[in-house]
Amino acid sequence: MDTRLVSVPGRPQFDLVDHHGQPVTIDSYAGQYLLVFFGFTNCAMVCPRALARLTGVLDRLGRDAELIRPLYITVDPERDTPAVMKEFLARTAPTFIGLTGTQGQVDAAKEAFHVFARRKDDPSAPDGYVMPHTAFTYVVDPDGTFAAHFGDAAPDDDIHACLHEFLTASATQ
Amino acid sequence: MSTPTQIAEATRRGVDEMQLGHIKRLQQIADYPPGEWAGMGRAAHQGDDFSGYRFQLAFGAYALALGYRHRLPNAPVMFKSAFSGLVDKLLRADVWMYWKDVSQGGSMFNAHLGRLSEEWDPVARDNIMYSAYLQSTATMFNVLFDDDRYAQPGALSFRFNALFWGHGDKDFSYDQNSLTEVLYWQMVQNGYLGIACEPNCVFQPCNQPAILGFRMHDQLTGGDIADDVVAGYKKAHAEYGHVGENGHYNMLVLEDSKMLVQNAEKYAWVDGWVGAMMNAWNREFVREHYAAQVADVLVEEAGGTLSVVCQAVSIGTDPDTGEEISVDIDADDFGWVAAWVSEMGDEETLAGLLAHADRYMNPTWTDGALMYKRNDTKYDADGHYVRMGPMTGNSLLAYARLNVEDGLWGLYNEPWDRTHFSEPLVVGRSDDVDITTAYFDRDTKQLHLVVSSRGDGPAHIDISNVGEFELDADRGSTRTDRHDDLLRVHLPSGTTAVTLSVPEWTPAS
Repeated sequence: MDTRLVSVPGRPQFDLVDHHGQPVTIDSYAGQYLLVFFGFTNCAMVCPRALARLTGVLDRLGRDAELIRPLYITVDPERDTPAVMKEFLARTAPTFIGLTGTQGQVDAAKEAFHVFARRKDDPSAPDGYVMPHTAFTYVVDPDGTFAAHFGDAAPDDDIHACLHEFLTASATQ
Repeated sequence: MSTPTQIAEATRRGVDEMQLGHIKRLQQIADYPPGEWAGMGRAAHQGDDFSGYRFQLAFGAYALALGYRHRLPNAPVMFKSAFSGLVDKLLRADVWMYWKDVSQGGSMFNAHLGRLSEEWDPVARDNIMYSAYLQSTATMFNVLFDDDRYAQPGALSFRFNALFWGHGDKDFSYDQNSLTEVLYWQMVQNGYLGIACEPNCVFQPCNQPAILGFRMHDQLTGGDIADDVVAGYKKAHAEYGHVGENGHYNMLVLEDSKMLVQNAEKYAWVDGWVGAMMNAWNREFVREHYAAQVADVLVEEAGGTLSVVCQAVSIGTDPDTGEEISVDIDADDFGWVAAWVSEMGDEETLAGLLAHADRYMNPTWTDGALMYKRNDTKYDADGHYVRMGPMTGNSLLAYARLNVEDGLWGLYNEPWDRTHFSEPLVVGRSDDVDITTAYFDRDTKQLHLVVSSRGDGPAHIDISNVGEFELDADRGSTRTDRHDDLLRVHLPSGTTAVTLSVPEWTPAS
């Protein structure tokens, strides 16, 4: 699905803590493209799949990918501390920086990105619950505005082409 | 997108006198001066029933869309000004200003929410019972008339000011695209469960037009947000099901507790509303449940007519006595069922319902326009259901009569492609002209019209996209000339069948 045909209203904002324990806002990454995905480290299927394919897309971009900062923002801050996120991403998607914070900080970030997530009891899951969540990937441009977003079913080639197009356009400016 | 090469029988037949009467009634409403709502008055305060102006206007527009798409596809002149007039009226403060009060919540089953903040902007949050109807009709206008007036910045704006109250001017500016964005992202942020009508109340009926509107947006932009929303909506509702334990469509889900409210009482309005609209994107499911659902709500009468079970509506339980509180308001059950039955193509049932309406529900003609006048009495002396509200009388029976089997499904799934707008189209007419047949046969390259001139004076129609042509009329005094890019056909009084051949015509997009 090419959801770029419906743009994302508002401006992306967050005030969180990265997985090194450093406070970060969107201004911390000024001048870079951001590739943003929301999820939680106990996610059984959606997050591992998304992180793996986004990692693959970045790999295909080669050195150009250095101009893109991939961010993974938790919707489950109760469990996803900086240390937990650091360990999880080192294992699954080492190019990503994990972001977490207080529940209020995370809720504000979700609101800014129009992200849905809610706690749902599931006795078969770790700690007895899961966090169904929006599975969009957002692209934020170096000026800090929404540039594109992709649904979970978007082909990898579409995401790659979009990022390549952005980077090419930036290089010619 | 497609343009059917085979011309449907309904299109060949055009519209009859009663269908024409409904079109004229909707044109009458569209032509009312600001603040005039004659024949549209509601029993409930603030549009708190289904005769709220927003519902009358939107379903009136849908009725016009169905009649145009399926019965008179080459006569946009019969529909365009009426359709845009209804959309324009949706923007009037008397239609949407209930929201500043309703946004504060306060229903008995949402008492735990307390008093919510007053919200003037009628589309910013919740209120899908208004926003979806505006978004879907504005985009539908663009789709059907190839006119993007509502896509212009600020074209869908909500303005209000009063001299002595209100704390200043209100001005909330949108267009069809920005409104689509707002609704789409509300849908995403709610996990695709749907968008609430009143706070915390995600009704299944009012989320159907939202899906329809997303599809109209996709037809204009080439996107696929409707498919995205449908996939998410199905997934979000998987734990509830679209129908409840008794096989009837569920009514709503409470947003915070995720509690499902089923249609335990088998209210006909719920089934009719959801069934008529969900058929657009979920046809097999709707048809699978139709027969059993409709059997529960129909009333067979002597003489072959059919009526509908119209129950008092339960609004909760008295906290002191524990007794159920119900109000015997008109929920437009009869009209919703008629609309649903028309979409199902159940012609026998539809004929029975319309025969009942025509026999017992006071069809009223004014200047060629047909409506069923409001009547607050529920049953006549012989026990026939006779109650009539303006939603049914102005809009839903028009919808039922102008629709065809899978009519809304066709709008959703089989839109015209761009070449439709290159066909000869009747785009102008003098005031006293009606067109009751208008279709173009691409195989023979002939436009077929039946045109009636009611007055004694000169009458004409204007046709676009006509190059070299031959005109054949069944009455002798027809003549033609050119006005700008249009072919003007001058007509005698009375009814004339016209065949316009355009042998050099080729489709263009």
